[in-house]
Amino acid sequence: MSHAEPVQVPLPVPAPFTGRQEIDPDVVRELVSHFTYSDFEEAQELILSALQEVNEHFGWVSPEAAQIVADHLGTTINRVYGLLTFYADFRTEPRGHHHLLVCHGMSCYVQGSQQLIQTLQDRLGIADGDTTPDQQLSVQVVNGCLGVCDRSPVVKLDDTYHGPVDSGELTDLIQRALAVHREEAQHGASAAE
Amino acid sequence: MAHPQPSSHLPHLTSKDEFLAFQQQATARWDAMWSGDRIVASVGVGSSSIAKGALDVLDRARQELGENGIVREVSGNGAFWMEPWIEVKRPDAPPIVYGPITPDDVPAVIAGTREDLAIGVRGDEAFGTIPPLSAHPFFAKQTPLLMRNSGVIEPDSIEDAIARGAYAGYFKILFEMSEEDAIAEVTTAQVRGRGGGGFPAGIKWESGRKARNHPKFVVCNSHEGEPNVYKDRHLHESDPHRILEGILIACIACGAERGYNYIGGEYPLAIKRFRQAVADAERLGLIGHDILGTGKNVAFRVRTGGGAYVCGEASALMYSVMGVRGQPRTKPPRSVEEGLWKRPTVANNTETLANIPDIIVNGGEWYAAMGTEGSKGTKLMTVQGPMQRLGVVEVEMGITLNTLFNDIYGGMKEGHVFKGVQTGGVSAGPLTEEHLDIPVDFDSLGKVGGMLGSGGWVVFDQNVCVVDFARYLTAFNRYESCSKCVPCRLGNPALVEILDRIRLGRGTLDDLALIKRTSKHIIELSLCGLGQVAPVPLLGMIDRYEDEFRRHIVDHECPTGSCPIHAPQRELVAAD
Repeated sequence: MSHAEPVQVPLPVPAPFTGRQEIDPDVVRELVSHFTYSDFEEAQELILSALQEVNEHFGWVSPEAAQIVADHLGTTINRVYGLLTFYADFRTEPRGHHHLLVCHGMSCYVQGSQQLIQTLQDRLGIADGDTTPDQQLSVQVVNGCLGVCDRSPVVKLDDTYHGPVDSGELTDLIQRALAVHREEAQHGASAAE
Repeated sequence: MAHPQPSSHLPHLTSKDEFLAFQQQATARWDAMWSGDRIVASVGVGSSSIAKGALDVLDRARQELGENGIVREVSGNGAFWMEPWIEVKRPDAPPIVYGPITPDDVPAVIAGTREDLAIGVRGDEAFGTIPPLSAHPFFAKQTPLLMRNSGVIEPDSIEDAIARGAYAGYFKILFEMSEEDAIAEVTTAQVRGRGGGGFPAGIKWESGRKARNHPKFVVCNSHEGEPNVYKDRHLHESDPHRILEGILIACIACGAERGYNYIGGEYPLAIKRFRQAVADAERLGLIGHDILGTGKNVAFRVRTGGGAYVCGEASALMYSVMGVRGQPRTKPPRSVEEGLWKRPTVANNTETLANIPDIIVNGGEWYAAMGTEGSKGTKLMTVQGPMQRLGVVEVEMGITLNTLFNDIYGGMKEGHVFKGVQTGGVSAGPLTEEHLDIPVDFDSLGKVGGMLGSGGWVVFDQNVCVVDFARYLTAFNRYESCSKCVPCRLGNPALVEILDRIRLGRGTLDDLALIKRTSKHIIELSLCGLGQVAPVPLLGMIDRYEDEFRRHIVDHECPTGSCPIHAPQRELVAAD
């Protein structure tokens, strides 16, 4: 890895945020209604699963959603927040329009994932758990393993795995995703007119 | 998350005879499928192959065959290098496996005109010029017991599983064998805990059975949070009924009312397939009240984790199941005395429990005949790094690392030179070239500072700087520390700071002594297994590669150029 002055690559002008950010309380109620229990012990066992369901659906868990889960399972929001902040899978802030997972498992590490994380920091100014100020891209460094080790170092942008990628390819990938998104937004705007 | 419905065509079995009849029916269905005159195409779908487009291959096969054949969604077979793959059985030929393929290859492959893509015949005999798959170097030295059904059965089909022998051990303990005899078989088999600890399962079961409190529980620990292991995920995806059967046998043997399986939340496909297996088994009457008319009751619950490595520790896992923060507690009392909901709880690793059905069916002696003196049976392994082939394999205990790396995994990729191998996930030190002849089992590796652990090996090459690698491993433990006890919470960040100093070329020779002193505190004073081994990989790295550490400190240079020694000031803050 060279340590020359990093090239500042300007990002395309991002489109307005269109991702699913708002959490509809009725949907949350519908999601947690599947979790039925016969006693308080069982209700407690279900807190994590219910939160996971909400987190998977919306990409994060809002205070309001946490309150709904707590009410449904007969516990307190304090306890729910204690879990949300302890377990790494949960987010308490909304994701960006695009979500990037960078695998930082050992297999990816020995083949260069550290440099990918450094690139994100240097070029985009975002680290693990951050979202770009325009809400376009959020990044999560997976401290476990995405399980696609024959493609290491691997990243997962939205629903697609990409690998092996190097720093340049990762920057390209992000720029392309943001650019496509911008085009779509423009196209959508002109179609609406 | 999926809330699976049981397959509606399954009957509810209420007696021994009904189960036997169902078993016969399932076997007949299986045999008819493979001897019929329809083409059978099976696509290996697992989370690793989905990432490479296996679902598109599956769709294409469905379009292509339509009503003229059977398309099956089986799981991956452990060989990641040949994914996505498809197995085609034509009426006049044995099943042939093709891979890696693209959706566009599917029509030609099904028509049988792409022999160039064929890898082998599933079975032991060649077909024309196509060799048997079992002769391929990746498979030749494997001993598939747990992975016998990987890529063969449809994981969502309980009939496939039963036709291939699932629930035979459960049947045996329900009708033909006493609970004591079953535990005796497990003790004779000397099967040791596969999660890394190596504690004999028979002894654990014995004390679980003797515990006087009721109700009792059995918990299967399927939370593998290590950054390099996915054997349990593979087992869940390929043969969920084997795990379920193992847990149910443990429940009956220990007199437990309820079985749990705690699965890491990052494995959606594994969770989905396992939940389906539970729903089907419940529908069939293998779980619930008065199982097959024996009067025995076992309930079952699947719980999922939230991505905390420490939840692999048994007491933390139980707290996580109970819906609180997964932080370990001091022992005693051990969990067989006071575990889940303060009741006696037997906690075993997935792989340990997956071994149980075969032990009950074939007997402990049969199992104990495999492996080495102190470590019996087989072990699932994953090797990562710049290797020719990657995947999950199952080998007999006592195989040498050389055989594993060079024969099965095909050696290093071109342009990469073997530098070392990190063992035991993040809990042990690295090994170098001179150790590759050591047999792999629970005891031999510990003598040279390595560890079998859960069977994950990470091979690293000349491009990896050991100081940076040691920092990575320590930073992982820093990140995953549950923050309950001080030595681990403050000690690991301190170690990372010292390592960062060395990486930046500002270390002193005193730092090496400081690392050793700090590590000693963390190892001796931490509460749980995570803290007690957290500095071990770092100490191992220093032990093996002291020269390289010294070069960073004394000569201010990083031999591989990965450390930011000459970086401009603004780059000095690490990204994580």
